[in-house]
Amino acid sequence: MEFALVGVGETGSRIVDHVLAVEAETGRTFSHGNALVCEISQTIPEDLEMVSDDQRFLIGDTHQAVTEHGIDGGPDLAVDVTRTDLPEIHRAFDSLPIHECDGILVAAGLGSATGSGAGSVLVEELQATYDEPVYALGALPAESEGGQAAVNASRALRSIVPAADSMLTFDRETWQPHAGSDERNDDAIRTLADRIVTLFAAGELDASTVAENAVDSSDIIRTLAPGGLAAIGHATTELEANSDTILARLLTWLGVRDDSGTQTTDAAKVKSLVRQAANSRLTVPCDIASAERALVVLSGPPHALSRRGFESARQWLEQETDTVEILAGDDPRNQSSTLEAVVLFSNVTDVPRIDALQQRAVDHQETTTNERSEEAEEPNHYGT
Amino acid sequence: MKLATIGVGNAGSKIVDRMLEFESRTDRNLCQHVHAINTARTDLAKPDYIPEERRILIGDTNQKAKGHGVGGDVEVGAEVASADIEEIRRAFDDIEIHEVDAMLVVAGLGGGTGSGGGPVVIDALQEMYDEPVYGLGVLPGEYEGGRPALNAARSLQSFVTKVDNFIGFDNDAWRAREQTIEEGYEQMNRELAARLVTLLAAGETDDSEVAENAMDSSDIIRTLDTGGVSTIGYAATQVDNDAQEGLLDRWSGDQTTQQDDGSNATKIQGLVRRAVNSRLTVPAEIASADRVLVVVSGPPSEFSRKGIESARQWLEQEADTVEVLVGDDPRRESPQLAAAVLLSNVTETPRIDEIQNQAVDAQEKIAEQEAVREEEINDLITDENDDLDPVV
Repeated sequence: MEFALVGVGETGSRIVDHVLAVEAETGRTFSHGNALVCEISQTIPEDLEMVSDDQRFLIGDTHQAVTEHGIDGGPDLAVDVTRTDLPEIHRAFDSLPIHECDGILVAAGLGSATGSGAGSVLVEELQATYDEPVYALGALPAESEGGQAAVNASRALRSIVPAADSMLTFDRETWQPHAGSDERNDDAIRTLADRIVTLFAAGELDASTVAENAVDSSDIIRTLAPGGLAAIGHATTELEANSDTILARLLTWLGVRDDSGTQTTDAAKVKSLVRQAANSRLTVPCDIASAERALVVLSGPPHALSRRGFESARQWLEQETDTVEILAGDDPRNQSSTLEAVVLFSNVTDVPRIDALQQRAVDHQETTTNERSEEAEEPNHYGT
Repeated sequence: MKLATIGVGNAGSKIVDRMLEFESRTDRNLCQHVHAINTARTDLAKPDYIPEERRILIGDTNQKAKGHGVGGDVEVGAEVASADIEEIRRAFDDIEIHEVDAMLVVAGLGGGTGSGGGPVVIDALQEMYDEPVYGLGVLPGEYEGGRPALNAARSLQSFVTKVDNFIGFDNDAWRAREQTIEEGYEQMNRELAARLVTLLAAGETDDSEVAENAMDSSDIIRTLDTGGVSTIGYAATQVDNDAQEGLLDRWSGDQTTQQDDGSNATKIQGLVRRAVNSRLTVPAEIASADRVLVVVSGPPSEFSRKGIESARQWLEQEADTVEVLVGDDPRRESPQLAAAVLLSNVTETPRIDEIQNQAVDAQEKIAEQEAVREEEINDLITDENDDLDPVV
């Protein structure tokens, strides 16, 4: 699988940076280093570790309303700035071998002016330029980010979701409710990056055993084909280490490891792991019964990949999601001692966070409109 | 019999690979020509026995496939194979047709490439050559879900109308128990390969050692010439073939085949019964078969004309047809005696009805979801009173 990664704005850039970091650490890759991050600012963000200098580009750095801290003036200005710099943006994208890729993944924080405005324009533009599918990875703002973030995100949803082939959704309210207050919140982005890499790099040919039913990019493309919002669930379990190893014996001796527990069969283990992934904290909480398609990937050492367990897990998933469109693949990893399941739910339509975000946005819009009209006759410039 | 065998898709290619493995292990020579055709580069890397130059990647220039499979979509599978039909035909030009009696296209019907591409491949072969084209299709198990059932039910129609005979294999009937994903498929494919090769390789040594009741290619072709769905039964037993007896066998030559030993007769009749009553590749009502063929394969010293005759009589009753052929296939070095039974044109196959029902339900569900898709997405991204405008 080969995807081009594009990060828009600060959050989008961070997501890309973390995906590249996870790829480097695990040796699994689906971007093969094809990445680009785009910021509206006068200065390049300094704190990205993996994204190299020539993978970053700035737009609007000569625009009046753009400061070294980014853009001052909401998504509509970001749209303007991005549209003005389109020729430059196209040149930047030419550096990515997109025609050789299976798709493009555009990450953006939808609460920020840049993510919302520039993200919308870029998704639309990439979609118009390339034949390859364009997926968005949209981060919804947390409540703590304020009313304006809710407006930006709610408006971006209406542009990005119809324009993208699908939007993988990450909810900061669920994962990092205090986002923006400090730097430590990158743990959540890291978790997101783990899930993305596990899902998209599953079918990669490497030194591992070849899968019986490999997950290939066509499977992901087909799963995401209905469009709308998508959510990812994930679960792992450590397999009992070989009890002969010195470490295992030591751990038992120290009382860290409990050998007395009942031996669960591989089949039961696999089934419960997939259930756990589906019932886990999804990247965006949603009712999985509202999903139109799903994809499940089971990864781990070949000896632990129980066929019966995986079959009944798949069957269970078909019941839970109430859909027949479920693709399942295995991803054997010889060296691994972890059993891992990742589930992709495509076109989920029952997403309470979106309703909450829209309500917040409407309230905020009304308040600001009222305030403005009280202060002056000038109409608000966010509303239309 | 000599075959040109073509595996389409992941399951098809793996089964062909296991057929070659079984051939090499038992010193048979059924597949004169093989091809693996796939849309996924990853899967084409798997076979152990299919030579590199016989593996064909199709759809690598197709926008939807790009060498990464078709995502289990039967429509895309058919589209991709049709688009690359010239490349497929060029590969089939290499078939040395005077050396083969028939062609066999092997595919899994639950996925996308085999179910969609298989019928396209069959069309090409039927147009290019006069020899019969048979299909071997793997039917998905119920547990594999609605989408595979729908693919299979649709593909089955294409296969059966296009091939001279369709041999089915039902994953449900052969579902493995406590196994890993890897072992499970491995095991099923090996079982299937043993059945196919034992049955179809009979008569390949037409010019050498010919036993009196020897089966030949024309018998197999005649039995398969029903145009319907067929199923295979199989049973095998070890023979006491220690070094001494082996020597004696060779020394006594053809005479051994002439001996009608009473115990051999009982053994053969019992073996054929066991094969017929064994787990068939697709469970079917035996009495619904149109024609039946039995190949008894093993060391000639184990053969018995009387056994074969009584097996034939028994089968005529069981299958309720007079079109029963029982013959032998001498394998001097074989450590076992095996019987493979082909029940041709069985019309009572409950699994096919089940798959069709599952497919109808799946098709309805998919249509329902598609009908409301746009509206539901729109409802989700639009606030209740449409107060919030899109960014662009």
